[in-house]
Amino acid sequence: MAESISNNIKPLTQWVNLQQPLSFDAYCQAGGYQGAKVALEHSPNDVLEIVKNSGLKGRGGAGFPTGMKWSFVPMFTDGDEEAPDNKYLVANADEMEPGTFKDRLLLEGVPHQLVEAMIIAAYTIGANKAYIFLRGEYYLAAKRLQDAIDQAYQNNWLGEKIQGSSYSMDLYIHCSAGRYICGEETALINALEGKRAIPRAKPPFPQVSGLFGKPTIVNNVETLCNLPHILKNGIAWFQAISPNSDAGSKIYSACGRVKNPGLWELPMGPTLGEVLYDYAGGMQDGLKFKGLLPGGASTDFLVAEHLDTPMDFDSIAKVGSRLGTGGLIVLDDKNCPVAMVLNLMRFFAQESCGWCTPCRDGTPWAVEVLTRIEQGQGKIQDLDTLAKLCDFMWIGKTHCALAPGAVEPLRSALKYFHDDFLQHIEHGCCHYNPSMSAKRTKVSQAQVTNIKKHQSVKSPQSPQSPKVGQ
Amino acid sequence: MSEKKVTIFIDDMPYQLSTEDNLLAGVLSQKLNLPYFCWHPAMGSVGACRQCAVTQFQDQADQQGRIVMACITPVTDGMRISIKNKAASEFREQVIAAMMTNHPHDCPVCAEGGECHLQDMTVMTGHSVREYQGTKRTFTNQYLGDLVGHEMNRCITCYRCTRFYNDYAGGKDFGVYGSKNQVYFGRQSDGALESEFSGNLVEVCPTGVFTNKVFSSHYTRKWDLQSAPSVCSHCSVGCNLSIGERYGSVRRVMNRYNIDINGYFICDRGRYGIGFVNGEQRIRQAKGIAQQSPAALTTLDVAKAFSHFRKKQFIGIGSARTSLEANFYLKNIVGAEQFSPGYNDEEMKVAAQHAQLLTSNKAPSLAEIEDSDFVFIIAEDISQTAPRMALSVRQALRNAAKTKAEKIGIASWQDSAVRTIGGKLLSPLFSLQSTSTKLDDVCQQALLLPVEQISKCLATLEKLLQLGNAQTINNDQALVQAVKHLAEQDKLSVTEQGFIASVYKALRKATKPLFISGTSGVCANVLSNIANLMSAFTAQNKLIAPRLIIVPPCSNSVGLLSILDEKSLSIEQVLAQLNDPDKSYQGLILLEQELANLSAVQITQLRKSAQTLIVLDHSAHRLSSIADIVLPVAAVSEGDGHYVNYQGRAQQFFQVHPPVLPIQESWRWLDNIADIVGTKVTSKASDAGDHESNYYTQVVAKKTRYESLTQLHQFFLDTYAQWPKLITKKGDKTQRDKSQQKAIARMSHRASGRTAQMANITVHEAKTTQKIDDSFTFSMEGKATGQSSDMPFTWAPGWNSNQAIGQFQTEINGQLLKASAAVFIPLSSALANNPCWRLTKSIKNSTFKSEAADSTVAKNKTANHLIYVQQKNVYFSEWQASLTAEFQMLRQSNRIYINAKTAQQAEVTKGQWGKIIFSATNEKMLWVNQTVISQIFIVNDLPDTLVFGNFALCQSLHHQLEMTISLACEQEVTDYLAQFNDALIAAKKSKENILESLKIKDQTIPIRLFSGGLNDG
Repeated sequence: MAESISNNIKPLTQWVNLQQPLSFDAYCQAGGYQGAKVALEHSPNDVLEIVKNSGLKGRGGAGFPTGMKWSFVPMFTDGDEEAPDNKYLVANADEMEPGTFKDRLLLEGVPHQLVEAMIIAAYTIGANKAYIFLRGEYYLAAKRLQDAIDQAYQNNWLGEKIQGSSYSMDLYIHCSAGRYICGEETALINALEGKRAIPRAKPPFPQVSGLFGKPTIVNNVETLCNLPHILKNGIAWFQAISPNSDAGSKIYSACGRVKNPGLWELPMGPTLGEVLYDYAGGMQDGLKFKGLLPGGASTDFLVAEHLDTPMDFDSIAKVGSRLGTGGLIVLDDKNCPVAMVLNLMRFFAQESCGWCTPCRDGTPWAVEVLTRIEQGQGKIQDLDTLAKLCDFMWIGKTHCALAPGAVEPLRSALKYFHDDFLQHIEHGCCHYNPSMSAKRTKVSQAQVTNIKKHQSVKSPQSPQSPKVGQ
Repeated sequence: MSEKKVTIFIDDMPYQLSTEDNLLAGVLSQKLNLPYFCWHPAMGSVGACRQCAVTQFQDQADQQGRIVMACITPVTDGMRISIKNKAASEFREQVIAAMMTNHPHDCPVCAEGGECHLQDMTVMTGHSVREYQGTKRTFTNQYLGDLVGHEMNRCITCYRCTRFYNDYAGGKDFGVYGSKNQVYFGRQSDGALESEFSGNLVEVCPTGVFTNKVFSSHYTRKWDLQSAPSVCSHCSVGCNLSIGERYGSVRRVMNRYNIDINGYFICDRGRYGIGFVNGEQRIRQAKGIAQQSPAALTTLDVAKAFSHFRKKQFIGIGSARTSLEANFYLKNIVGAEQFSPGYNDEEMKVAAQHAQLLTSNKAPSLAEIEDSDFVFIIAEDISQTAPRMALSVRQALRNAAKTKAEKIGIASWQDSAVRTIGGKLLSPLFSLQSTSTKLDDVCQQALLLPVEQISKCLATLEKLLQLGNAQTINNDQALVQAVKHLAEQDKLSVTEQGFIASVYKALRKATKPLFISGTSGVCANVLSNIANLMSAFTAQNKLIAPRLIIVPPCSNSVGLLSILDEKSLSIEQVLAQLNDPDKSYQGLILLEQELANLSAVQITQLRKSAQTLIVLDHSAHRLSSIADIVLPVAAVSEGDGHYVNYQGRAQQFFQVHPPVLPIQESWRWLDNIADIVGTKVTSKASDAGDHESNYYTQVVAKKTRYESLTQLHQFFLDTYAQWPKLITKKGDKTQRDKSQQKAIARMSHRASGRTAQMANITVHEAKTTQKIDDSFTFSMEGKATGQSSDMPFTWAPGWNSNQAIGQFQTEINGQLLKASAAVFIPLSSALANNPCWRLTKSIKNSTFKSEAADSTVAKNKTANHLIYVQQKNVYFSEWQASLTAEFQMLRQSNRIYINAKTAQQAEVTKGQWGKIIFSATNEKMLWVNQTVISQIFIVNDLPDTLVFGNFALCQSLHHQLEMTISLACEQEVTDYLAQFNDALIAAKKSKENILESLKIKDQTIPIRLFSGGLNDG
C-alpha cells in the first residue's frame, strides 16, 4: 500500500532542494516557468476556467475552492469608469500554525515555484502588484525568495511586459512583524497596510475590497504552488493524482514522539494511520499512541478509532475534526493531555488580537482554569466552566475563526481525555508529572455523574468546521 | 429618518422596523432592552463586543435558531428573532462575565458610578455571580491633561474611544496599543489631549476609563445633581446642553441630544467653558448702589439709585453673548437711536452684509451639513470658532465613501466595512484661510492667503461662474485656460488659479454643495464677494447653488443682529455722540459687553466722555473696574433667556439653579431700571400716511414688574411689533401646557441630598425654591424627565447613563418623542439701510480698489510688508470660556508661523526663538511698538506677505503694521519663559483656590425660596 503511493508523482516537492534551491536556469531546465508560459498564452478567463475545473482547494486550512474564490474578483474592460487603479494578489506565507511547516519547505526549497505560481494567479485576476506576506522568522526563505524574485526580474518573468506579453507585474516580499492572527486573510491585509492586525468585518470580502480598498486575493503558499503544474500538465493529470474526491497532492507532516517526524507529499487522502505508521514510522519505542491533532493546533483531537479516516477535507470533517494544514501533532501516553491543551490555549490567548470579547477575555479565562487543573488545584465545577467557555467561543459568536480554532483541541480533549481531567481534579495532581504526588483520592461520585450528564447535553456540538468570516 | 418599514417578529410579537438601520438600532427604537457596548448611534457598528447577541430563526418552524450580533445584522422583511431565547441571553451574560474578569470592583470610588453604561448592561444581562478566579490585569494610567481623567484598569476594550477620537473626530494623538487582553487606549506618552472634542470620551466611554476631571475634582453623583436644559453660550452653533449643579456651584456640562444641532457630541469649549460661572472673576456684589439694609439689596435701593436718571438719556451697548430679551429690553429703554451692538465701523459693515446674506440664504443645520457632498470653507477657522460645526463637516466628507459602499450593497451603518471600502476617499473639502486649521488634514486643497487675496479669488470664481453660464467649459484644458484668462486682471498666482479650477470642477459634480464663511476675519469684502457668488449661482442653471453658512463669533450674535436697524450705532459713533456737546448724554449702559476690541486709549476716552458708566456683567473686565455702577448679572446657568444660533434658531436656556442675590438676570436688572426710567415706544402718528417721519417715540412708564420670562414676553408682544412672535407663541403654549400639566423635576427621583444638605445649619427641612411660570421644579418632585423636548437630564429606568437618550427618541437617531418645532426668528436686513454700512456692488468695487491702493501704498512704505493674522483658539477665542482656569492652564507659549523665505531673510530657523517687533502709529499718531518673543515655525506654502501666530496684539497695533523678525537673545527667551510659566502657575493656583472656596461653600449654601428678582422681604 505504502509503496504504491510513494511511486506516485510529487509535483510540489519534486524540485525541492533545501541545501541549495534551483537557480533560475536550473529551474527552467527542470521544466519551470512552463506553467506560467501556458497561462500567458491563454486569456485570464481561460486560466480561471482551468483552475476552477481542476478542483483545486485551498491548502491553508479551510479548503475553499480556489477557482471559485478568484471568480469573485470583479473583472473590468478597458475604459470602465468603475475600474480600480489596481488589484492585488497576496501569498499567505505567514505559517504560524503550531506543528505546521509545510510552506517553509516550499519557500526554502523551491522559491521559483512560488514566484511562477504568483505570476499565474496575478495574471488571472488582473493584479499588477503582488505581495508575499512572509512569517517574520523565515529569514532564509526571505533571502531565497528575494534571490528568486531578482532573477525573475532579470529574465523578464516579472516587471514590465512579461515575456513580451502586454501583462506587467511587480512582486514584493513583506516580512511579518509576527502575529498568528496575520494568517487570517483580512488581518493580514490590515497588517500589510500598516494597521493593527485585526480581522476585518465581512462583507466586503477582500475579493471586492481588500488591500487599500482594492480587489485582492489572498492564497496559501501550497495552494499557489499547485498552479504551475496544473497549467503545465492539465486538469486530467491533476485530478488523476488522487484517487479521492479531493484533487491533487498535499504535503502531510507529523511531529511529536514519532520515530520519523517529517513531511511527505502524498496524493490527497491517505489515512491517518498511513501517515502515522507508514511515513512517520509509528510511535517511539516504549510509547503508545494516545491521540493526534490532524491539521495543526486549531483542530480537534482524533484518537485510535479514527486512524482509518482518509485525510481529505470531507472525511476528516465527518469524524469531527478538520484537515487544517495536514500537519499531525501526535500525543503519546507519557505526556499529559491537560498540559498539552493548556500549552495550546496559552498560545491562542497570547495571539488573540483583542478585538472581540469572547476571544480576548475567554481564552485567558480558559488558560486560568486549565492552569489550576494542571497544577492540581482544579475543582469539579471547573469542567463545567470549561465546557461553558467552549460554547462561549464557538463559531458565530466571535469575530473570526481564531477562538473557535482555540476551542477545538480543548473541547475534543474534554471528550476523549475526560478521565485525565477528572484524575487531575480528584487526585489534586498531574500523574504525568513525576514531581507531583496525589493530594486527594476521592471525589463524590454524585458530582461526577452530574458533570457527565451535563456534558452529554452540552458536548454534541456540530462537527462543522470554523469558517473564515463568521 | 426612514420611510421603508417592514414587519419583523421579536419573540413572536410583530414590530415595524426600518430597513435603513441595523437590527440593534431597530430593537432599541422599539424601546426593547438589548445591551450593547461597541455600537454607538452616531458611529455605527463594528461587531467587536458581541454583547448585542440575539437568536435568529430561519422560519416559524425553526426552534433552534442561531446566534447573531444584532448590530451587524440588517433588518429584513419577516425576519424572526428572539431576545429572550436562552442561548442568546446566556451568551450575553457570558460576555459581561468575560469583561468582568478584568474590570475592577471599584464602583464606589468611580466617578462613573450611578451613570455607568457597564453597570446598566451588567444588570440588564443578569450577570451577578463571579466565576473567574484568576487575577486581573493592570495598566499604568496616563496624564491626559486637566480635562479628562484616565483609569485604564476599568477598560472593557469596546474600542469606542479610539473610534470617536481618531475615526470620528480626526484626532491624531490617541490610539490603541498592545493586543490580546492587554489592549491599551491612550497616547504614546503622557500629555494633554490635543483634540477639541476630547471631553466626549467621557460620554462615549461606557464605563469609567475616561472621566470628566473637572467634575471629579468637585464630585457628586449624577442623582444628586440639579439640572436644567440649557444652550451653550460659547459659540454661535447653539449646542444643547444639560448643566448640572449642586450646592450652588455648577458641576458639569453634559451633551443634550438635539438631532438638528449637536446630536451626541459637543466640543470641549462647551463642556468645560462653563468654569467661568464658578470663577474668581465673578462679580457677586453690586457696586455704586447705596444699600439700606446690610442684609440685602432691595428693589427700593435700585430705584433710589436710578431715580437720578429719570428723563436722562443713555446710550446702551448690547452684546452678542447676552440673551435676546436683555438686548431687546436695553434697546427699548435707551431707544433705537441710542443703541449700539458694540461693533466698530468695519464690524458694522460685516454685520450688515451678514444680515443680508442670512435673510436671502437659509442656513442649514448641522444635520444638514452632514448631508453635503462638497464643502468650501472661506476665511473662517471653524475648527476653533465653531468646533462642533467642524465635526459635522468632517462627517460630511465621509459621504463619498458611503456612496461607494452603498454601490456594493454595504449600508452606511457598517462603520468598519465602509471605512475599509472608502480607504482614504473623502468628499471634496476646499479651504481658503489665513491661518492653518485643524481641518487641513481632510482638505482636498487648502490655500493660505491674506484676506484681500481670498477676496480676489472669490471674485475670480464668480466671474468663472458667469463665464461658465455663457459658454460651455467642458474639459479641463478649457477650464484652466478660462481661469488663467480671468485671473490675469487680479494677478492671481498659478496655485490660486489651480485652486479655483479645482473648486469649479468639484462643484460641477456636487449635488449638495455647501459654503461656509464667517465674520471673524472682519472683512466685509469677503462677505460681499460671497453675496455676489450666491447671486451668480442663482443666475445660472448649470451648477447647483450651494447652501450657505456664515459663522458669527458669539452665542447670540444673530439674536443681536436681528434687533439692529439702520439707526444702530457703531462704537466710533458712540464715542462721537458722547462727545457731541449738542447731545447731553448722561452716560453709557454696557450690557454684558467687555468691548474687547477697544484699545486702552479708547477705553480712557470712553470713560472720560461718559458721565455715568453703568456695567451689567457676570465677570470682571476692564470696564467693570472703572464703572460707576456695576450690577452683578446671572451667568447662563443661573437664568432664563433665549440665544439665537447662526441659523436664526431661537433656543431657550433654563435656569439650572437660582443665583445668590443680588445676582440676577440682565433682563431683571433692566426691568428694575425700566421701572424708574420707563421704556421707549415708537408709535405711528394717528393722522399720518406711510412716511417714516410720522413715527414718533415716547417714553412710557411701566405699569408692573415682570417676574418671569413669560410675563416679559407678553409685555414685549403687547408693546412692540418688532418682537418676534414665534417666541411668544411658544411661551403661550408652555403656559397652556403648564396649567394642565405638572412641571418637570430638575432633580432625579433619587436625589438624596436635598432634605439633608442644610442639616448642619438647621434640622428643619428647607422649602424648595419657588418660581413663577417655571416649567421645571427645583426638586425631585414633578414629572419625570423626557416629558418634553427640553430634558433637564437624561435618565430612564434601567438606563442611568446618557445612553438613555435612545428611550426618548422616536427611533434611534430620530427626533425626540416630545419634540417641539424649532423656532426661527425673522431677520431683517434693516441695518444695511444705513448708508454707512451698505455695501452695494458698486460701492464694493470702489472700496475694493481704494483699499487695494491703500495697501500697496502701505506696502511701499513698510520695509517688510508682512501681514500678521492671529490664529483662533478653541479655548481662548471666546471671552467667557477663556476665563476658565482649566483653559488658562492649557495656554501654549508663543508661536509664529512664517515661510522659509521670510525665515531666511530674518536669519532665523525652525524651532528657534525669535523677537518680533510690531510697530504702528496709534490713534494719537504716535509711533508705538510691541515686542513679542515667540518660537519660529516654518510653513512652506505660506505666501510671502502672510505670517500667523497664536498671540494677540495690542488693539492699537491693528492698522498699518510694520513687522520685523530677528533672533531673540538668550536673556529675552529666559525672561519670556519665566513669565509664561508664572502665568501657568497662577492659573493652577487659581484653579486650586476656586476648588477650595467651592468646597467651603458646599457647607454653607444659602437657601433661596423664591427665584424671581431681588429679595425685598
